[in-house]
Amino acid sequence: MIRFDNVTKIYDQKTRPALDSISLEIDRGEFAFLVGASGSGKSTFLRLVLKEDHATRGVVYVAGQNVAKISSWRVPKLRRGIGVVFQDFRLLPNKTVFANVAFAMQVIGKSRGIIRETVPEVLKTVGLEGKENRLPHELSGGEQQRVAIARAVVNKPGILLADEPTGNLDPTTSLGIMKVLDKINRNGTTVVMATHDDDIVNEMRKRVIELRNGVVLRDEAKALYTSMIPVIPAADFGSGLSAEANK
Amino acid sequence: MRVAFILGEIGGGLRRNVSMVVSVILVTFVSLTFVGTAGMLQMQINQMKGYWYDKVQVAVFLCVDTSTSPTCASGPATDEQKKNIETLLDSAAVKPYVTSWAYESQADALKHFKEQFANSPIVDSVTADQLPASFRVNMVNPEKYQIINETFSATPGVETVIDQRQLLEKLFSVMNIASLVAVGIAGLMIICAILLIATTIRLSAFSRRRETGIMRLVGASKAVIQLPFVLEGVIAAVIGAVLASGTVWAVAKFFIQDYLANQYKDTAFISANQVLILTPGLLVLGILLAGISSLLTLRKYLKV
Ligand SMILES: Nc1ncnc2c1ncn2[C@@H]1O[C@H](COP(=O)(O)OP(=O)(O)OP(=O)(O)O)[C@@H](O)[C@H]1O
Ligand SMILES: [Mg+2]
Repeated sequence: MIRFDNVTKIYDQKTRPALDSISLEIDRGEFAFLVGASGSGKSTFLRLVLKEDHATRGVVYVAGQNVAKISSWRVPKLRRGIGVVFQDFRLLPNKTVFANVAFAMQVIGKSRGIIRETVPEVLKTVGLEGKENRLPHELSGGEQQRVAIARAVVNKPGILLADEPTGNLDPTTSLGIMKVLDKINRNGTTVVMATHDDDIVNEMRKRVIELRNGVVLRDEAKALYTSMIPVIPAADFGSGLSAEANK
Repeated sequence: MRVAFILGEIGGGLRRNVSMVVSVILVTFVSLTFVGTAGMLQMQINQMKGYWYDKVQVAVFLCVDTSTSPTCASGPATDEQKKNIETLLDSAAVKPYVTSWAYESQADALKHFKEQFANSPIVDSVTADQLPASFRVNMVNPEKYQIINETFSATPGVETVIDQRQLLEKLFSVMNIASLVAVGIAGLMIICAILLIATTIRLSAFSRRRETGIMRLVGASKAVIQLPFVLEGVIAAVIGAVLASGTVWAVAKFFIQDYLANQYKDTAFISANQVLILTPGLLVLGILLAGISSLLTLRKYLKV
């Protein structure tokens, strides 16, 4: 579903690449965690999938398409196939829960009838039935994130990207969000989630891709937040970095 | 659905930036009024040209008592001198350029003068012998005036040769300058309008960046994201253009048609309804103005 082929992303020639020759593949229906220290390139990875930015070198494939070859007027079509959720929810403050979710359907031209039918369904999936008419500020953080997830999946994308979706939430609420993401994944959506939340990663036992300084340090199925096999790159001996990475 | 959505967005946008929208309306209104005025002056010039050019004549004025030019040294033009001029007018050198000519005696001249200044007290103090008699020559091609001038200006008994067309040309050149000034002011105002529209759209895009950000992420097309902004500018500009057309029409109606045309009955003036053909032009200009400046702005501030 997502394939990176020797992808390098350089924002600024003077600093090290944000992503450095990354090659990996995430299959249809998979659930993958993207972990790593701050600045390791997780958000950059997600931005490349969305064609928010272009790879400096290498090729990014999404659903079999080389995203570099997608012309600008077909980028919206690519994005309709991808849902996105952020740490800061990004809801529209003056729209109700229902209207926030419906907005994602209106702007791509879905009919009123389909919107009225689909939105309550999706709100039920994320556990928000009965809260359709609340405004975002009348919801808890966890509930707001559920609205954001509902909006991301309401157009039934094949891929859901989540950039630290539990970053602002307490552990119990986070677990609730993870249940929702897991449910969406089990319905067939490929989920890629960037996170710092070790408890959640350890709890879920999914594939873990660990980045450090833009390279893949580890890529394990059914893994924990920290590696079960200690990875200590030669260059890091004595620098203290390995201790931090193995936190 | 998408149409309803876009219309809703436009409505919201217009309400949000009322003061900016009003200023866009005003600045397009003023600039397009100047454009329309320039257009109206050009129409008036053409109207007058059409009306006058086949009426204008070259006038060969004969000497009177008070004439001072060297060709009038022998006093008022004699019958012999008149005969001579008539012969010249019918000669092979001149005839091909002339469609017709007529003699206007001093009595005729007084009659025409009285008609022309019917309401003026000056009429009573003018007598026939103060006005020169003249030959009125209609030319095949009015531009060939020089031939008559060369032939007659040195002829004894002729005081002066006057090309009425040149008098009109002077008037037209004044009107042309006025319309150029109007176009110049319009040009400056249009630059203001473009900058103002660009600023308005930038502010509007900034105040709606949350919405547009989400629209991008969920895959809304470029048209759905950008059209509300473009149309906001276009609607404001169209309102400005309609106001400008109305103003130009009102000037044509109340100033030209009702006032000037009554004051100067023997001159051809444009009618108010003729000016209405400028309206589509002003509308198109307004739309282009807003459309182009908003597309340029959006390319920079609302990338998809
Ligand atoms: N738009 C940008 N312009 C320049 N440099 C950038 C830009 N975005 C990210 N970077 C740099 O690229 C590197 C990777 O950033 P990225 O945002 O992908 O990290 P991250 O793993 O998501 O970090 P965090 O966990 O803090 O969100 C960082 O060194 C960052 O400074
Ligand atoms: Mg990040």
